[in-house]
Amino acid sequence: MATLKELKSKISSVKNTQKTTRAMKLVSTAKLKRAEESLLMSREYARKIDEVMKEISAKLSSIKDSINLRAFANIQEPKKVDIIVVTADKGLCGGFNIQTIKSTLATIEELKAKKVKIRLKVIGKKAIEYFRFVGIEMYEEIVGLSSSPDYKKAAEVIEKSYNDFVEEEIDNIILIYNGYVNKLTQMVHIKEMLPIEVEVKDSQEFLEVEPTDDYELILESLVKKYLEYTMYYTLLDSLAGEHSARMQAMDAATNNAQEMVKQLTLEYNKVRQENVTRELIEIVTAIEAMKKK
Amino acid sequence: MKIDIVTPLGRIFQGEIKEATFPGVDGEFGVLEGHSPLVTTLQPGLITIKKENGKEEVIAVNWGYVEVTPDHVNVLVDGAVPVVGSSESEIAQAIEKAKQLIKDAADSDALVAAVEAKIESAARAI
Repeated sequence: MATLKELKSKISSVKNTQKTTRAMKLVSTAKLKRAEESLLMSREYARKIDEVMKEISAKLSSIKDSINLRAFANIQEPKKVDIIVVTADKGLCGGFNIQTIKSTLATIEELKAKKVKIRLKVIGKKAIEYFRFVGIEMYEEIVGLSSSPDYKKAAEVIEKSYNDFVEEEIDNIILIYNGYVNKLTQMVHIKEMLPIEVEVKDSQEFLEVEPTDDYELILESLVKKYLEYTMYYTLLDSLAGEHSARMQAMDAATNNAQEMVKQLTLEYNKVRQENVTRELIEIVTAIEAMKKK
Repeated sequence: MKIDIVTPLGRIFQGEIKEATFPGVDGEFGVLEGHSPLVTTLQPGLITIKKENGKEEVIAVNWGYVEVTPDHVNVLVDGAVPVVGSSESEIAQAIEKAKQLIKDAADSDALVAAVEAKIESAARAI
């Protein structure tokens, strides 16, 4: 049985932990609010650029053969792909990072079964640490970007992949991240970015691109913009998800600590009661023993 | 015809319109309902929107894409400032902002001057 002193220090240490988790929850709530705001602001643009890309690709089928852009090419069997994984730089956010990592591992397995070569680009300390630990080779490691999303840096990351794609080094870019759904849920997204699927339709839809003499340039810049923005939006989405996950995790931790304090206090009281009883018995027996003499 | 103007910082305008004019790289062009599908890039300038009720709205943009389909128009721009306001000081502020946006984006002084003049005349019409 633990002594009173031990129990007392245990209680106070749990209370201290509780204070920390509560503070972390409050911080996450505030940060989530900001992340959510910037996410909502850019959501419209992200959706629209998605929509525009889809509409354009649907209309391109009639002139598809005349386009010399690899982004719209029909690649049947990819041989080498880029996987870009986004996780948080920090832990203490429940299953947020491990969910992404698990999905990544599953995707890697799947691709390996198809004998596809993989280049792994990892954004976020947590995934980097994990892949290093299990000995999975990484092509690129980026720390610090997922905690403070930056358009320029995000664009740089995806542009390297895009250039390799154009050079026929790789055949697809897969983006894996854990996104924000609402304050209580996050969802892992696995997005195949390139090539942009061209739906083959029979309808005689056509699309004019102006200026006509360098329409490939316009389409390419639009594709680039699409990739860059999707990458940037992914970071924002992941950051909001991270904060909401941490908020939840810290809330649970605070409640658990509360429960633990309750249990420990109960035990503390029991031990104290026992001590009092024991001491009383000792005194009484001592008196009884003295009487007999 | 529906129009949707979005920037990375949010939606600027959405709604039913009669016609719209855009500062395309190949020159200004107007869009009415039933326009053939088109994709083009914009240069710094003004988008003029004629609403259903005949009122005009002017939005200064720096750079972006326009996708036109027969029944709707999607505009993706990097930055946009609507030249609107309910009081004179608000309008003046919007004009200042719009001018700054154009100045930062345009590469020739002639273009800046032309667009600024247009902003001024558009503002007088409010």
